[in-house]
Formats: sequence, structure tokens, C-alpha cells
Amino acid sequence: MARHPALLRERRRLRNRLRLLRAERGWSQAELAQRLGVSRQTVNAIETGRYDPSLPLAFALARLFERTIEELFEPDGAA
Amino acid sequence: MTLRPEDPHPTAQEAGAADGESASPRCDSFRTPRDARFLRRFNVWMVAAALAYLGATAALRWRASIPAVLPAALVALAALLSIQAVRAYLTFLRGADELLRRIQTEALALGFASGAVTSLLYPLLEGFGAPRLGAQATTVVMMLAWSLGSWLGTRRYSGSDGA
Repeated sequence: MARHPALLRERRRLRNRLRLLRAERGWSQAELAQRLGVSRQTVNAIETGRYDPSLPLAFALARLFERTIEELFEPDGAA
Repeated sequence: MTLRPEDPHPTAQEAGAADGESASPRCDSFRTPRDARFLRRFNVWMVAAALAYLGATAALRWRASIPAVLPAALVALAALLSIQAVRAYLTFLRGADELLRRIQTEALALGFASGAVTSLLYPLLEGFGAPRLGAQATTVVMMLAWSLGSWLGTRRYSGSDGA
């Protein structure tokens, strides 16, 4: 069964502004990872767009940066 | 490069250059301290199980010259330690950092698929004269593919090209 084009678009990687927000707070990747309870490579992989976080982790990020998830992430190529 | 606050989505490379941090540092930082602790526990059980397995194999080979109870005891010990190793791995996997869990799950899938394909297809190749392999060959293939999958996953999620 063919997938809807909108679903295919949604399956693209997410862009995010974690690195910018982290830099604003002066946190290292290791420090952010410690606050989230994940590994530093998880933070790095999310920032570089290689890995999309789980929903609980996305909520944890949003809470930590006091933003909504939509403010942190958007689908790559979204208008 | 200077970050522009008005730009809502600077690329990771831009921001990484701005804060003086590599956009994709390759280092062994996939594990949290908790992951490392659980992995150490799994490794201890694995080594113990492997030693028990080797002991049981040797005892079975020389069973004529040793008390009969010893091979049976060593086989039982190897089985118990193997079960403990599996339990320790599952504990590690359930509590692992989510990226590490993904890498390990993908590696396990590669290991299982490689073992299944080998066990199904290699007997056909034996029909064409390929050397006959022992029953453990599939296990070896699975373990090697699991290791390869772990290495590939680690590379994939820490690469520098964003692919």
C-alpha cells in the first residue's frame, strides 16, 4: 500500500535548535546529557540530526529549555 | 562563525563552529555510567558462562576418566550462567540510553538475520561442495554479525557527514 506523500515528508529528519539553545546557556554536550540522563553521543546525534529523540526525551528537552517541542524541532524542509 | 540569534535554525555545523565544539566528535561516550555498570555485569556473566562452557566441553571429552557427576554439573552450570548472562543483557538493554538501545537493537537484528540466513542457505551450498560446518557455526556468524552491527551503528550515529 502506497504511503501518503505527507507521511513520507514527515518521516524526514528533524531540524532542531538544540545546539543554539545549549550554547546560550553555556552548557557542554556532556552537561546537557547529564541533565537529561542520556549519553553525550545521544545529545550529539540529536544536534547533528542523525537521531530523532523519543517522545519522552523530546518532552524532557522542551521542559529543560522551557520551550514547546515545536519550538525545538521541525521537519527538515518545512516551510 | 558568528551565530545569528534571529536565525531560528542554524545548522549544527554553524553552531558547533561557534561554540568551539566539533559537530561530530568521535569518542567512546555512548554509555551513561549506568549503562557501563550494567554492561560490566553482563560481561562478567558472559565470561563466566564461556568458561563453564569450555569446562563442560572438556569434561565431556574426558568423561571416561573423571567422575560421572562432573560433566553433568558443568553442563548445568554453563546453562545457568548463560541464562544469567541473557538476563543481564536484557536488563542492560531495557535500561540503556535510548541511542545505545537503538544501536544494540539494530545490531541484534543484523545478528539474528545473518544467523537465520546462514542456517538456511549454507546447507544448500554444502550440496555444491562447500565444507561442512559444525552446529556452532551459525552461533559464531550471529555473534560476529552482532559485533559488526554494533560497530556500524556506532559509526552511523557519530559520523561527520550527517548522512
